[in-house]
Amino acid sequence: MGKRILIVDDAAFMRMILKDIITKAGYELAGEAQNGQEAIDKYKELKPDFVTMDITMPVMDGIQAIKQIKTIDPNSRVIVCSAMGQQAMVIEAIQSGARDFIVKPFQPNRVIEAIQKLEQG
Amino acid sequence: MGEMDVYLSVFLDEARENLQNLNDALLGLESDMKNLEKVNEIFRIMHTLKGMAGTLGFDGLAKLCHTMENTFDKIRNHQMTVNEDIIDLLFKGLDTLGESLDDIASGGNGDTQAVKTLKDGFESILKGQKSEQKVEPFKQAQVKEEPIQEKTVSSVDSAFFIEDSTKVILKNVYDKAKERGLNFYFIKVTLSEGVQLKLARAFMIQHKFDEMGCEVVYSDPSTEDIESEKFDRELVFGIVTSVDPKFLAENLKSISEVEKIQIDDFFTSVNKKAVVTDDADGAASEKHVDSQNAELSEESEHKDDNPAQPTKKKLKLSQSIRVDINKLDELMNLMAELVIARSRIAETLKKFSIKEVDESLSQLSRITLDLQNVVMKVRMVPVSFVFNRFPRLTRDIAKELGKEINFIMQGEETELDRTVVDEIGDPLIHLLRNSLDHGIESPEERIAKGKPKIGTIRLSARHEGNGVIIEIEDDGKGMDKEKILKKALEKGLVDQTTASSMKDEEILALSFLPGLSTKDKATELSGRGVGMDVVKSTVESLKGTVTLESEKGRGTIVRIRMPLTLAIIEALLVTVKDYVYAIPIANIDTTQKIADGEIKVVQDREVFMLRGEVIPVIRLRELFGYSRTENLKQENIVIIKVGNKKYGVIVDKLLGQDDIVIKSLGSMLSDVKEFSGGAILGDGRIALILDVSSLM
Repeated sequence: MGKRILIVDDAAFMRMILKDIITKAGYELAGEAQNGQEAIDKYKELKPDFVTMDITMPVMDGIQAIKQIKTIDPNSRVIVCSAMGQQAMVIEAIQSGARDFIVKPFQPNRVIEAIQKLEQG
Repeated sequence: MGEMDVYLSVFLDEARENLQNLNDALLGLESDMKNLEKVNEIFRIMHTLKGMAGTLGFDGLAKLCHTMENTFDKIRNHQMTVNEDIIDLLFKGLDTLGESLDDIASGGNGDTQAVKTLKDGFESILKGQKSEQKVEPFKQAQVKEEPIQEKTVSSVDSAFFIEDSTKVILKNVYDKAKERGLNFYFIKVTLSEGVQLKLARAFMIQHKFDEMGCEVVYSDPSTEDIESEKFDRELVFGIVTSVDPKFLAENLKSISEVEKIQIDDFFTSVNKKAVVTDDADGAASEKHVDSQNAELSEESEHKDDNPAQPTKKKLKLSQSIRVDINKLDELMNLMAELVIARSRIAETLKKFSIKEVDESLSQLSRITLDLQNVVMKVRMVPVSFVFNRFPRLTRDIAKELGKEINFIMQGEETELDRTVVDEIGDPLIHLLRNSLDHGIESPEERIAKGKPKIGTIRLSARHEGNGVIIEIEDDGKGMDKEKILKKALEKGLVDQTTASSMKDEEILALSFLPGLSTKDKATELSGRGVGMDVVKSTVESLKGTVTLESEKGRGTIVRIRMPLTLAIIEALLVTVKDYVYAIPIANIDTTQKIADGEIKVVQDREVFMLRGEVIPVIRLRELFGYSRTENLKQENIVIIKVGNKKYGVIVDKLLGQDDIVIKSLGSMLSDVKEFSGGAILGDGRIALILDVSSLM
């Protein structure tokens, strides 16, 4: 069975792109969330195998969400999605417990590589 | 070669046994440094090991044993005295010897770098130099040289180009690492083409090093340059670690956008020869050997330099194998089936009474019985399995905390089901840490309180009833009931009215609730408020119970009771009507025949006087709804003891004693409280096991 992924991004477009990338690669969409708070709720509800997490989002940003998800599930596997120029944020996200990062604009093979690496680790 | 393997396996078995003895002797020596008996014992162990290692040509190991032996020879002859440094070095030696044996077991020659380093350590002691050359923290030796710009040497072999001046500094770091028994590796990480956010990627690599317990002591480009992203796709790190290079490579490979990992030992690197090369796709494990460095080939020999055979030859050792517990369950069930099948055959053949068959049938019976016994015992292991590592553990923790303890273990031979033994380790470690950290006071505090300076922690295991009791007892400061209650009220775990009517036991039990820690400040070891509730849930998941007994200022006893759910118990088999029932022997006080007239009726209950004690009597026939046997002159009564209460049950016949395997009655019958389970007997019959505590 394909691993289930929760996609978190405030932009519906970005969610769509990511959804296409992952489903084409044989993964299953566990759910979508529009902000950090929703991500936490969905995480508890859906218990996805992986999460892709945008950093800049309304209500609660990705870094806060990662920190909380990490306390809910220390083994959670979150991949941060960032834009160029957010290097410092990415580092903070990793310090907060994110396991990898991908950079917008997404290259499908990079997204899949990140997921596969986490699957192995 | 086959013969050699046999030698090796015996060698390893015995050497490990010697190490365990050494461990015990060292702990003994540590608590009494003038104990000449222990000194002699250690001397002997080292001598034996030396001889064994030498015979099989493990010279490195033999030399280490030799220097250790010499050290103890001097101590024995009063030319030297035991001090803490020596003890510490010896414990390190114990670990090193263990690793060396592991290396031998996996096909190496046991001559690890640590062995050499340690040998030097002992030699310097022998020369009278104090072994106090405490290693400076690496931070001071950190090298942050300017990156070497002219690093455009093109050949593959020069993966690691390190400037001579840097080498000198690094050599120093290397030596210190070796003193601590650590390894120094150079690691070259090549990132994928088109890598984005290089700094974040580099950070992930550093993060990974931290996670693996590697200390980064050198990097090329320098940290500053990495931080300002002044690098291309290649990063070279010098790290100090105890981690296996293969493990390093694998972990680094698990990072995205890492194309290639090359790992080099310090010296080989200085000589520009790669040891492990791992492509990111994990396919090839190739090796570059520089022919100019032929003098180093000896080292590479046992490190596998044949690309066609990437794995070392593993020796087959016959000492033990790991078996999935489910397979044992399956085996047990099949065993029971076999017993049933055998008794059916026996029944059938009885009709014909053929002498020849009788003989072989009784042989079959014997074999099945033996087989059943063996299968049953396979699952049981002594608790020493987990207990063994505790003396060392408590010693290390106590040392870290600056506390002095006398750690006593009792009943290590008590046997428990393998599954239980496996699971009980972590909760016990947690409880021991609690005792050490929060229970036992510092020596000064203890003296001030008029207690003996050295605290005592006692870990014991014993059979009690149908289970095993494991106790951790300390004579520390005990638990503060008022504080627990206050905290629980603060957190809203209890309300004021219940709080005022709570018994001591109940208050203590509050500490098992999640989120209740009375320790104001969490320490490294325990007291993050996640402790006791985890212990409780683990124990309960094994169908056990935990209780606390504590007196402020006097100490605490944590008592874990584990039932032997899937274990073998000794049971008395009895019959009621034509059915067989089993009563756990552990709960039986006595059995005897009594005249019917001895049973009296008091307040509508039948009782019986046993040694001046009034004991209630239960007639199993009545309990199970059968008619009473017509008035017999004598009845068989089994006196059962639960805790400090006794009662008698009247049965038809006593059949005898047997080891039985408890099987659950399944969820459909979970509300049948009179029976705790069932068992298949040797003759294929089924016996229900009386739940003695619920009959009362």
